Amino acid sequence: MKGSSFTYLLKEGARNIWVNRMMSLASVGILVSCMLLIGSAILLSINLNGMVSYVENQNEMVAFLEDTADDNVVASVEAALAQNSNVDSFAFVSREEALERYSEVVPESLLESLQEDKEEVFPLSFRITLKDLSQIKETTARIESIPGVMRVNAPTNVAETVTGIKRAVYICGSGIVVILLAVTLIIIANTIKVTVFNRRKEINIMKFVGATDLFIRMPFVVEGILLGVISACAAYLLLWGGYTYLMDYVQTQAAGTLSAFLKNLVPFSQVARQLLASFLVGGVAIGVFGSMIFVRKHLKV
Amino acid sequence: MIRFSNVSKTYDNGTEALKNVDLEIADGEFVFIVGASGAGKSTLIKLLLREEVPSSGAIEVNGYTVNRLKRRQIPGFRRSLGVVFQDFRLIPTMNVYDNVAFALRVTNVSTRDIRRRVPYILSLVGLASKARCKMNELSGGEQQRVALARALVNNPKLIIADEPTGNIDPELSYEIVDLLNEINKVGTTVVMVTHEHDLVAQFNRRVITIDNGSVVADDADWGQR
Repeated sequence: MKGSSFTYLLKEGARNIWVNRMMSLASVGILVSCMLLIGSAILLSINLNGMVSYVENQNEMVAFLEDTADDNVVASVEAALAQNSNVDSFAFVSREEALERYSEVVPESLLESLQEDKEEVFPLSFRITLKDLSQIKETTARIESIPGVMRVNAPTNVAETVTGIKRAVYICGSGIVVILLAVTLIIIANTIKVTVFNRRKEINIMKFVGATDLFIRMPFVVEGILLGVISACAAYLLLWGGYTYLMDYVQTQAAGTLSAFLKNLVPFSQVARQLLASFLVGGVAIGVFGSMIFVRKHLKV
Repeated sequence: MIRFSNVSKTYDNGTEALKNVDLEIADGEFVFIVGASGAGKSTLIKLLLREEVPSSGAIEVNGYTVNRLKRRQIPGFRRSLGVVFQDFRLIPTMNVYDNVAFALRVTNVSTRDIRRRVPYILSLVGLASKARCKMNELSGGEQQRVALARALVNNPKLIIADEPTGNIDPELSYEIVDLLNEINKVGTTVVMVTHEHDLVAQFNRRVITIDNGSVVADDADWGQR
């Protein structure tokens, strides 16, 4: 193919978009809507997941040591915790600290009733956060088996609920995205079909003046690429604008416990690159393959 | 040169469109193919253009054995001839110039040659002043001349015209055939399918009559009778 032909085919693809601008607009509109839906579903499930992870991190377990535990025992428990792969972080709580914490939640009068060495009532302990809450039972058992550990208080029920929610969010999120993808493909396949059908006469004429199949396809492919790129950029910008606006709104409106949740929303910049890349790849791939497949039908003259 | 050797065509639904047709048209001839609707004229054209393949027999056009062409050889074969259809088959979104240039662009002709060749052909069919017009601004006769210009622009050895006057006013029909006549005078073979006997009578040319799928008459001097 000569350079002049190549330039001609590129121009022809761009010209086709303009000449069939209503159809192009419809295609872009459909592509953008589908990408927005899919993008929103992805963002929603990422955020839900983020929130659940936040809740997860708020949950800690406490390991109480035997009354007889001395510095050596504390050191050996510390070493054992450090070796546990599911332990995210841990902090030693002395008797004084325990008393301090306790006095925050218990009325002064109740503490008064205790004997002289008030802090002696409280055992030494470790506050522990876990990496994976779904393994809480196993981890609890392993920590309890460490010599010197008397008992472990673990929020097992909460852990199970959170893990369940997390799994549900993941399954629902993926399910919605897969369904949306399927719907998108069907709608877009039909749009391309209509576009090609509207121009079957043009294809027929090209065949009779001796155009090769490649030559006939090229403008459609160029058109597909351009429409894919335009749609991807439009969807990206809309999602960016919409999401940022929504984040600002939600974060200024929310108060109290809710705001702690919302501080954990995923900023757009964190997913921007992947989103744009997948929109571009998806848009162009659909445009190109769709055109290739449906033009083929009309080439048999 | 066109040669049909014992060509038959039966469609999938059982219709026998052509039966054992033998035909020879030499280079530089002007031939009318006449016959009633359903006689087999359209099938003959479809076979000539390799839109259909014969059920049996051999077809030779411009040195190509058409019935044995491979798919990738078809574009090359079609570039060796020019076609004019009854319904013009022009691209409505393109202007006159682009419709004609289109046939050259498809065949990888350089932009410089296109700029030289298209205005010349347009002046030949009398449309030089309408190069920038859109199809809906032209009359039927003018549109058919654009189609003729497109068929001619590749400098083909053979022009096939399928009822070229079927969609235009009778007074303009003569003009179109006269144009084909002029083209034939410079050596291009012309095969024109028509059912307008009055028109055929005005030109002293060979006439092949098809009826019920067979050649029933082949008169070299039909016009003089």
